[in-house]
Amino acid sequence: MSDEAHIVKSYEEELQNLNDSLIKMGSLTESQLADSMEAIIKVDKESADKIIANDAKINELRAKIDNQIMTVLVKRAPMAIDLRITISTLKISHDLERIGDLAKSVAKKIKPLPHDLPKELIGSLRRLGDLVQKQLRNVLDAYLNKSKESAIAIWKNDEQVDDLTNTAMNEVADFLGKSKKNLELATHLLFVTKNIERAGDHVTNIAESLYYLIEGEYLEGARPKGKDIEKN
Amino acid sequence: MINNKVKIKTTNLNVYYGDKQALNDVNLEIHSKEVTALIGPSGCGKSTYIRCINRMNDVIDICRVTGSIEIDGNEINKKEIDVVSLREKIGMVFQKPNPFPKSIYDNVSYGPNIHGLAENKVKMDEIVETSLKKAALWNEVKDRLNEPGTSLSGGQQQRLCIARAISVNPEVILMDEPCSALDPIATAKIEELMDELKKTYTIVIVTHSMSQAVRVSQRTGFFHLGKLIEVDTTEKIFKNPNNKMTQDYITGRFG
Repeated sequence: MSDEAHIVKSYEEELQNLNDSLIKMGSLTESQLADSMEAIIKVDKESADKIIANDAKINELRAKIDNQIMTVLVKRAPMAIDLRITISTLKISHDLERIGDLAKSVAKKIKPLPHDLPKELIGSLRRLGDLVQKQLRNVLDAYLNKSKESAIAIWKNDEQVDDLTNTAMNEVADFLGKSKKNLELATHLLFVTKNIERAGDHVTNIAESLYYLIEGEYLEGARPKGKDIEKN
Repeated sequence: MINNKVKIKTTNLNVYYGDKQALNDVNLEIHSKEVTALIGPSGCGKSTYIRCINRMNDVIDICRVTGSIEIDGNEINKKEIDVVSLREKIGMVFQKPNPFPKSIYDNVSYGPNIHGLAENKVKMDEIVETSLKKAALWNEVKDRLNEPGTSLSGGQQQRLCIARAISVNPEVILMDEPCSALDPIATAKIEELMDELKKTYTIVIVTHSMSQAVRVSQRTGFFHLGKLIEVDTTEKIFKNPNNKMTQDYITGRFG
């Protein structure tokens, strides 16, 4: 990191604006994910519509960031830390957009749900959703504080997401096995669970981009995988 | 591609202009058949450094150079060295194109002539043609070889100076901001030429443009106040330099 400011003030402003756009996009994505989790658990069809409509705002911000980055690349030919900020911001914004898309996919599954979720399935789903939300919040905080340690911790924590996903999937499979009538609900829930896990993977990508931004090197080794997932 | 054969090795190089120290204990290895870019703010010593390599500082009375400069392991910073034959091995191209006030042909034949490299006119014609071809200028000037070098455009003049430099079969080409007086197209032609020339020659270029350093060089050295602050592969320097001062300079934060 550099604590010095650029000689050219407008360059400083452009990077600041880029940072602001990303933070705005991050907090929007965070609430979309939180809202979609809340809505699926409550089978709140009204909220689902709002979440689906709100996704366009995230996409707009992503397009805005793309444009801001193109301008910086052409005008400034960024070097070193500025180059890493620019490229990492581009990558992070695309991961946030994908998390937004996944929140929207979860919301889309709410409408066709035939009835409320059975109590025995809510616990694991909620725990998984809470964990991924916490991971997203932490990675956005880590971005703000440019914390390498947090980036590593979040990256390692994806193992827990995988474990919880596996538990949730098994519970849905058990529920499905009980009766053929459960087929429709169970199928939707399997997709929802997978979507949340995918959102967690994008959080891990963000942690990787952040680490590269800070260190100029890639996080080494394969991303940790949950034990049970590995076996399957 | 990174080449690890060292062509020029400077050890504890110090340069003084009278009381003023222009270079301070510079230790730098220039690798063979690569482009090494030297960057840094004005007055940082990068031009002084390359002028040591062909002993150009000898012409400045108050200039004193201490330390070692080895080319292929042979010390050149000593009195006994014949600077004329040294400069046959080490060509130089300057910021402002400076063709001799002579014809295009004579500009290129001048060096081979004084070094006695051509036994007859046919041989000399061949050297002139090859040099102009290597400098990517032949097609533009082949029908006007007797016109003055100064009648060419700035970019063509700079390529003529490159042809003049390579006409004596040098091993090293020193370039001191060779594109700073040129438009983007002429700059692109010189940069394209450097890509070709580095297959045969070792090139050291002083540039004020970090972007140019990234485009043309494999290694980059950053100078500040007469000291070599950092030298590394160009990729390492522009992605993630080790030194904060290097980063502040190349990102435009230098205070």
